Amino acid sequence: MKNKIIMFWVIIVLTLISIFVIHSMPTRLGLDLKGGSRIVLEAQTTETIPKVTQDMMDALKATLDRRINPQGISEITIQQIEDKRLLIEIPTDSDLKEVRRKLSEIAELEFKKPILDENGNVLSWESSGLTGKDLEKAAVDTDEAGKWVIKLSFNAQGAKKFAQLTKEFRGYPIAIYFNGEMLSEPVVKQEIIGGQAQISGDYTHERAKADVDLLNAGALPVPAKILEENAVSPTLGVDSLNKSYVAGFIGLVFVMLFMLFWYRVPGLIADIALIIYSLITFAVFKITGVTLTLAGIAGFILSIGMAVDANILIFERTKEELKSGRTLFTAINAGFDRAFTSIFDSNMSTIITCIILYFLGSNIVKGFALTLAIGVVVSMFSAITVTKNFMHLMFGTGQLKHPALFGLKESDINEAYEVSETQREKAKFGVLD
Amino acid sequence: MSYSVLNTKKIIDVVKYRWLWLTISFLLLIPGVIAMIYSVIQYPTHSPLRVGIDFTGGSIIQYSVSENVSSENVSDIRAKLVEHNVENPVIQVLKPSTSDSENSIKYILSIKTKFAEENQSEEIEKITEIIHTDYPDAQVVQTNSVGPVLGQQLFINSMIAVTLALLGIIIYLTIRFHFEFALAAILALCHDLLFVLGVFSILGLVAGVQIDSLFVTAVLTVLGFSVHDTIVVFDRIRENNKFYAKKATYDDIVNASVNQTLARSINTSLTTLITLGALYFFGGVTTKDFVLVMILGIAIGTYSSIFFASTLVAWWNDVVMAKKAGNN
Repeated sequence: MKNKIIMFWVIIVLTLISIFVIHSMPTRLGLDLKGGSRIVLEAQTTETIPKVTQDMMDALKATLDRRINPQGISEITIQQIEDKRLLIEIPTDSDLKEVRRKLSEIAELEFKKPILDENGNVLSWESSGLTGKDLEKAAVDTDEAGKWVIKLSFNAQGAKKFAQLTKEFRGYPIAIYFNGEMLSEPVVKQEIIGGQAQISGDYTHERAKADVDLLNAGALPVPAKILEENAVSPTLGVDSLNKSYVAGFIGLVFVMLFMLFWYRVPGLIADIALIIYSLITFAVFKITGVTLTLAGIAGFILSIGMAVDANILIFERTKEELKSGRTLFTAINAGFDRAFTSIFDSNMSTIITCIILYFLGSNIVKGFALTLAIGVVVSMFSAITVTKNFMHLMFGTGQLKHPALFGLKESDINEAYEVSETQREKAKFGVLD
Repeated sequence: MSYSVLNTKKIIDVVKYRWLWLTISFLLLIPGVIAMIYSVIQYPTHSPLRVGIDFTGGSIIQYSVSENVSSENVSDIRAKLVEHNVENPVIQVLKPSTSDSENSIKYILSIKTKFAEENQSEEIEKITEIIHTDYPDAQVVQTNSVGPVLGQQLFINSMIAVTLALLGIIIYLTIRFHFEFALAAILALCHDLLFVLGVFSILGLVAGVQIDSLFVTAVLTVLGFSVHDTIVVFDRIRENNKFYAKKATYDDIVNASVNQTLARSINTSLTTLITLGALYFFGGVTTKDFVLVMILGIAIGTYSSIFFASTLVAWWNDVVMAKKAGNN
């Protein structure tokens, strides 16, 4: 009995810790519940890039990160998921228009030099060797007329190239190309040594700002194509979350009423165990950093179903043992031990399924498998430890005096029990003789 | 009455009426199987179920709108989209819930089209513009675009996952029970699977319901639950067989075991169905089909664990016994 009381306090402390954890740690919600976007990109091989290397992927990732998260403040994550694929997750933003543009722009800046005829007229343009790679920084600025311009600062090498170029073509135009499109063709008035240049065009502030971000992020080392995109607006996310809460709550209340009605006092104990179970499971989600998605919540709710099942198995078995005339203490123990093989085997098969799903499933499926597996493991603990402990403390030993407590009738109870006792240690592993 | 445990109230005689139970199973499965065969012939994808964009590739864009969209308006929108070269648009209007709270979404207009390989982003923006001409308050609440390559990969991965899960369960049950139990459990599982797939095949034909990766998750859960249910009954047969193998026939043991676990089987299914029912009626619109799969699966899983799996085990035993007798 002393052990039982110690165990009781352990359960209480665990529950309190769980409440504390739930209260103090934030819930990590998936994009489908808080809104946001997910994009899967794949790097494309081209004629010039026959093979995508890991270095290119790293560079691609870094460039995209600088592009969509120039200040580095938002919670955007980019991770490589396969050899050639990147997964981008953008919380709370479901408007992909801007993001798509940022992802697809090539952002190739190039200065071109003129090919001149004998009269000094421009025949065509050719590459000067000065590109976006020689850039140190781009910024939005205004010119004397108050128009928006992009100010370019070259690095040492770029400044040298630029000085050379302006020296060679003094008095002639040079061209600035961005993404294959000529932005301007200023005439060089003098050699420029400081490594500063400016692009003037008919810029709006937004456009200038967007291009500056692209220039600062640099060109993509390898072109990338969108394979998959998902976006959920925060409105829909909140809607789904609220509905899941309501559904979960209603479901739980009905299940608890059912248990109370059918199993009476043990049902009440199961209900309390169920609440403790839910608290511990939720706390484990938070501690292990599980991201809750709609599928994850479904997994959790399903695991509640399995936790209840464990209790039902035990109670049905205990009832049978009582009917056979056992005393309370042995009937409860026998009920638990006999039900345990069923619970263990059925939960193991669920866990096997979960493991396979976790490693092979898509993202949605993974979330589901994880919450279900955690739920099933916790449910074994709650059914075996919590319910059993409470049952023993509540009923103690001796004969069952009030069969109605278990939803039984006096006439259901038989005198003798003819099956020989099973050794408890053996029963746990399914050996019953 | 020292023989009491085996003489518990017999509510159902599973062994005696085995042909009846097998016929019921057959009748439950046959419409779905016919629907699947019909679908394989009928659909351009040659799949037994109507597969969604998760597996075939495509785009679904969903808009929240404040007023209901009548079927005339739907055909209007479709005509406009086709006019603007949107390929084969499928339009649906969803009603997310019955709740009237201010912030909840009233109606969802869902548009499905092909995945545009080259200019996917412009395609979506074009559709949004077209919708905005008729429904200026429409807001994109969800977009989902999957390229065809990724879709096929997901499908193959899902199939591998299902196969491995089945194998894992067979191995586990063979170790813990006997091979015939594993076989019966797997047959019961296929029974449940076939039923659920059949119903969704019919729904695909009748109501255009499509399956997505959430569907696969739900099916896998059903598999887990089906085995869960079957194991409980088998566990009881295993236990009773230890004690009564010499005192009673195998058929009696199976019958008694099924009846002893009957209350548990029904109560567990009931409680799970209660939670699922709550999810179905009060949960989000996105998980409705997902929950429906589980409701169907758990209902049929309970049936099969009582009437199908145990019948098979008893039958197997009869056949083995007859063989042994024949050999002697």
